[in-house]
Amino acid sequence: MPPTSRDRAVPRRVAGGRRAEMLAPFVLVAPAVLILVLLRLYPLLLGVNFSFTGDGDRDGAMVGFDNYVDLLQDPLFQGALRNVGLLVLLLPVAVAIPGLLATFIYLRVPGHRFYRSVYFFPAVLSPVIVGAIFNLLLSFDGPVNSILGAVGIGPVDWLGDPDVAMFAVVGVHVWATFGMALVVFLAGFATLDSALLDAARVDGASLTQVIWHVIIPSLSRTIQFVFVTTMIGMLTSMFGLLYVMTSGGPEGSTYLPEYYIWIQQGQMNRPALASAASTVLFVIMLVVGLLQLKLLRRAGRED
Amino acid sequence: MKQRAVWAAVLVAGLALTGCGSATGSGSSSGGSDKKLVVWDWKSGEASSAQYVEKAKADFAKKHKDVEVEFVAQPFDQYYTLLGAAIQSGKGPDVILFNGGGQIRDRVDSLQPLDEYVGEDRQRLAGWEAFAKGGKTYAAPVTLQGHPIYYNKALYERAGLDPAKPATTWQEFVANCATITQKTGAKCFAQGNKEGIGIQFFLSAMASGVLTPQEYDNWIAGKRDWNSPNVKKIFELWKETGTAKLNNDGANSTAMFNDAFAVFQSGKAAHIIGLMSDIGHWKDFNEFITPEKLGVMMAPTVTSGATPSLPYDGGIGYAVAKWTKDPKVAADLVRSLTSTDALKAFYANAGAITADTTIDVSQSGPAVTTIVGALKTGKPAPHVALSSKALDLMGRLSQQLLSGSISVDDVVKQMAAADTAG
Repeated sequence: MPPTSRDRAVPRRVAGGRRAEMLAPFVLVAPAVLILVLLRLYPLLLGVNFSFTGDGDRDGAMVGFDNYVDLLQDPLFQGALRNVGLLVLLLPVAVAIPGLLATFIYLRVPGHRFYRSVYFFPAVLSPVIVGAIFNLLLSFDGPVNSILGAVGIGPVDWLGDPDVAMFAVVGVHVWATFGMALVVFLAGFATLDSALLDAARVDGASLTQVIWHVIIPSLSRTIQFVFVTTMIGMLTSMFGLLYVMTSGGPEGSTYLPEYYIWIQQGQMNRPALASAASTVLFVIMLVVGLLQLKLLRRAGRED
Repeated sequence: MKQRAVWAAVLVAGLALTGCGSATGSGSSSGGSDKKLVVWDWKSGEASSAQYVEKAKADFAKKHKDVEVEFVAQPFDQYYTLLGAAIQSGKGPDVILFNGGGQIRDRVDSLQPLDEYVGEDRQRLAGWEAFAKGGKTYAAPVTLQGHPIYYNKALYERAGLDPAKPATTWQEFVANCATITQKTGAKCFAQGNKEGIGIQFFLSAMASGVLTPQEYDNWIAGKRDWNSPNVKKIFELWKETGTAKLNNDGANSTAMFNDAFAVFQSGKAAHIIGLMSDIGHWKDFNEFITPEKLGVMMAPTVTSGATPSLPYDGGIGYAVAKWTKDPKVAADLVRSLTSTDALKAFYANAGAITADTTIDVSQSGPAVTTIVGALKTGKPAPHVALSSKALDLMGRLSQQLLSGSISVDDVVKQMAAADTAG
């Protein structure tokens, strides 16, 4: 018997329904993908492409890897990359400070409530204000040097000595931002099993032993999270402080890639070279980010 | 692996699609319409410039009643970054304020030569060279920018020196400084080299006392011999200001604007190499030191045969963008912005020594009279002749000289390389 029109219609409707079901996720994610491609990926590709063109007289001409060769030969950019390395080395200090302070607050040192609010206070200040305040404090004839002078230590040119300036700026950055990490640590402590701490105390563990054997292992995921966010913060949000406090100086000792990009693009009128530098910065961030993701995943498996 | 290959293909395709872009756009669209001109500057937002802008607008309105003029004041510290972005997009203002020298010369590709429009103003205004490149003029000067050596006569008096007779040789100058520091505690120079611009002021102020007139002219003409003993001498003197403690302490961490000026104004240093446009100049110093006690001196002579003169150029000037629809109308606006009436208001309110040398300045005290009197024999400032890249390097090297981590020979070697590359 030949199939009736009714019999034929059923599988077609089912097939149509299935197709719609299959397409639905794509339609739903399409707006997000479009926005990502148009506003993120496309400008990124444009930037990468610009980095292969010339500046000035060679404007618009493809120059291959010339900008990258220029970059690698530029002592200023080399210095900026070295400073990135320095930031990575200083990262444990930047994480340890809020970690330790949060530990003390958690262990309820006298006045812990007061400290908790005061520590967070600088996190709401703009880097420009922080920079201006510390410019005054750290100036050669400023109050910090006056205090040092009063106790018989010679004045330090905090922002004028190339060996000291980068540490001064990083120190101020840590001061201004550790409140945020402190809050994250305190949130981590909220999930800590207090029975473990009590057990450690009953067993007669010292403060250092408690921190080393109980608190740090229990907070490993929080610590990793703070590592990632602090690293990103150091690489991308120190521009304001650098701009206000040292302008990359003295002797170019406080350059970071971000500041270098800004100078080349705006002051030196070399946008293609700046694009090459931002591509390099992007790759650095990508590598650092992926490494950290890998670490997090491994830590997740151990759990 | 397959997924990665797909992503790689997407990336390559994207790069290929964007393959015809360039970092600096060459589009030719206009910022304003036929009936509107957009002006970018960093002055029109200041109260002291209000009357100047008003007079210029009124003058322009007489010639072009139907054209609207819009001033957009940008913050100076981001001015060239914003302008760079506008230039790259090929859409920007019609009339643009520039500093003379490197800043405008680096960007002449985006500007309209003004020679055919400003012929009548040639004689009346001074400082055109700072806005010229390759024999063409790209902006009309509004102010003159130079580097007079200001000194505090009160400190001279307290040290027992004759304030009417400042030193004419370097040895005498250093000896005077020693006396001043000993008697009053004030340093010789108020120096701010945090941004590395102290050396620019120093090079320009001292060069005419160190280089022979021939060497000076060659320098300005682009024939710079970085190995000449006299060029080295300038950097040796700079180093000496550090080693002999002539500068205020911590010069590398003192900002020129406004910290070093504050050091001079508060009497903590006897000399400062300042400006003559509208900041860090006689009018600012008059307020604190008083017009009678503010002196201006020529560079002390270092080598025989040198003839000290006032180093100055065109300070700021207005240029016309390449993409403007009617260059003649835009050039007319530039002419209004440099008209005598407008400039008179700029001098009176902002205190700038304007490019119009016919304006009477006799009411403002002896320092201004000395500066304006020295304009006739003055020559272009040596640092203005250098490219932005060379200036940037010189700033860092100057900090190294002050901290003692580099030798003068190394400095001139690096500068020679940067100067030819730039």
